[in-house]
Amino acid sequence: MTTEFAIQIGQLEFGWKPDQTLLDIDRFELAAGESVFLVGPSGSGKSSLLAVIAGIAPASAGEIAILGQDMTALSPARRDAFRADNLGVIFQLFNLVPYLSPLDNVMLPCRFSKARRDRATRNGSLRSEAERLLNSLGLDAATISRASTELSVGQQQRVAAARALIGAPGLIIADEPTSALDSSSRDNFIELLQGECEAANSALLFVSHDEALGRFFDRHVDLVDINRAGSVVA
Amino acid sequence: MNSAIFNLAYKSVTNRLFTVGLTVLAIAMSVTLFLGVDKIRTGARESFSTTISGTDLIVGARSGSINLLLYSVFRIGDPTGAMSWESYEQIAGAPGVEWAVPISLGDSHRGYRVVGTNNTYFERYRYGRDLPLQFAAGEAFADAEGVVIGAQVASDLGYEIGSEVSLSHGIGEVSFAEHDDHPLLVTGILRPTGTPVDRSVHVTLEIIDRIHDDGAHDDDGHEEDGHEDADHHQHEPEQITAVFIGMEQPTLVLRLQRQVNTYPEEALSAIIPGVALMQLWEVVGAGEAAFGAISAFVILVGLISIATSLSASLNERRREMAILRAVGARPGHVFTLLISEAAAIAAAGAFAGIVLINLVFVMIAGLVQSRYGLALGSGGLSPTDMVTGVVVVTAGALMGVLPARRALKNALADGLTIKL
Repeated sequence: MTTEFAIQIGQLEFGWKPDQTLLDIDRFELAAGESVFLVGPSGSGKSSLLAVIAGIAPASAGEIAILGQDMTALSPARRDAFRADNLGVIFQLFNLVPYLSPLDNVMLPCRFSKARRDRATRNGSLRSEAERLLNSLGLDAATISRASTELSVGQQQRVAAARALIGAPGLIIADEPTSALDSSSRDNFIELLQGECEAANSALLFVSHDEALGRFFDRHVDLVDINRAGSVVA
Repeated sequence: MNSAIFNLAYKSVTNRLFTVGLTVLAIAMSVTLFLGVDKIRTGARESFSTTISGTDLIVGARSGSINLLLYSVFRIGDPTGAMSWESYEQIAGAPGVEWAVPISLGDSHRGYRVVGTNNTYFERYRYGRDLPLQFAAGEAFADAEGVVIGAQVASDLGYEIGSEVSLSHGIGEVSFAEHDDHPLLVTGILRPTGTPVDRSVHVTLEIIDRIHDDGAHDDDGHEEDGHEDADHHQHEPEQITAVFIGMEQPTLVLRLQRQVNTYPEEALSAIIPGVALMQLWEVVGAGEAAFGAISAFVILVGLISIATSLSASLNERRREMAILRAVGARPGHVFTLLISEAAAIAAAGAFAGIVLINLVFVMIAGLVQSRYGLALGSGGLSPTDMVTGVVVVTAGALMGVLPARRALKNALADGLTIKL
């Protein structure tokens, strides 16, 4: 999917309940392939914004386009399908499905999206692509063969990154993925993630409350600056 | 797409082997109980209905038809009374009667019922699908002192042709009045039939008389001893217990039955075995229904445990659902995942239960057959097994609806963020 923007938001309003406004964003954009650091204290609406971008929660008003697709025009089922095809998500913690092996975790998105499976298998089998991603994120074969629940937090986050990256989705959302890592593995993780995003030509929206991480990114955006409803939430 | 979900469901279930195993065990046990009750029920019916065939009427002293059927054919309970030999001769000579086999019950040999009869019994008695009695060894009564034993009696007591048998009065295992002064010899051993015949000791009517007269009417007995002949059809006891009757034409059965029931000389009952059996089923049907209902409820309890265990696991699985949503799973997938887990647990339980009950029946069939004369069937997969399996899996899947709805609600509310 070639488009100028990975994310385009205009006059967006959102609340989980009808009479609530958690997000009121005039304008927010992320260019295709761009890597942006979104900072905001807890309660500033980061999680809500990510849910809207991921198409899990519908916007109450305004425009939101992901990779050129107007999300407000899609039914919930189509938004789910769109997310499967075009979005990779890394959570803060407990990223892995405990009963799946690291490899199965990485291949999981391709079970829900034919488009991603097709892209991932362009140069070989799905399994070899998953192994390639895990290896380039610094996980060796011995680590991969262990149970997901036996991996260290740092290793789990790398598996999660590989899962987000498989099939080269146009946009990767990372929701405080390094908050449980020590500083050296954190720096290492961010560099690897950025490198792989560039290689896959995926845009990266990296969300954190830790402003110190901003130095790794070309551009940072403070959610408090762009969210006019931010002060409502304590 | 759905194969991915089924694959996930399988891995999720096998990952929680302990809790899932307990639920599977609960369902397996309930299915085993249900099918066990059903198999015993159908086995008993099958066994009862194949015990006698080819006999059109059974006549005995006046009593309820079920009672007459039970003691004359199944050797259950005691005869309510006797009928006179004169009545027997009248009935045996009635028009349309092809054959009439007298039997005399009430005695036992080492816990096995003794049946006094004559050689026509071995010619005329039919069981199963019109199968005749066959001798595994020896032959029918050659003289008054002959004894023909069923297959089970032979193997349990270790009797062979020529073994000596002493008879007692009454039916207890231990009898005070064993009649050792009349040593009898085994002349024939019958092949196994799967009916009470296997557990019967057959003697001549003359011997029955001798046991009961014993000294008191000795001259009568001596007279009989005087003209022993090969067939013993001529022996005339004073009374017998019942008569098995075969008619020349089935159309004559009802007429003779009416005649016997209104016989002026003696109070008699004539029953059609099939009809009496139907009445018996009506009586035991209520009990069977109660057992069936109880065991069905036990299955329901097992099924509810699926909903319980899945619901209990949902809180710790909220993050798993969020991950699945994040990688593109639709709400329908989350729903399907839990339904398939429930169905998989039910299927495993049903399968284990069906295998278990069939194994148990294969193992105990011989014991039940020898101890109770009840043929429980071959132990193979029955249509009931399969129907039960399908119903349990379907109901199990339905049991997944409740936790699935909750999981769905959680997943939609949680979105991408649960910080547990």
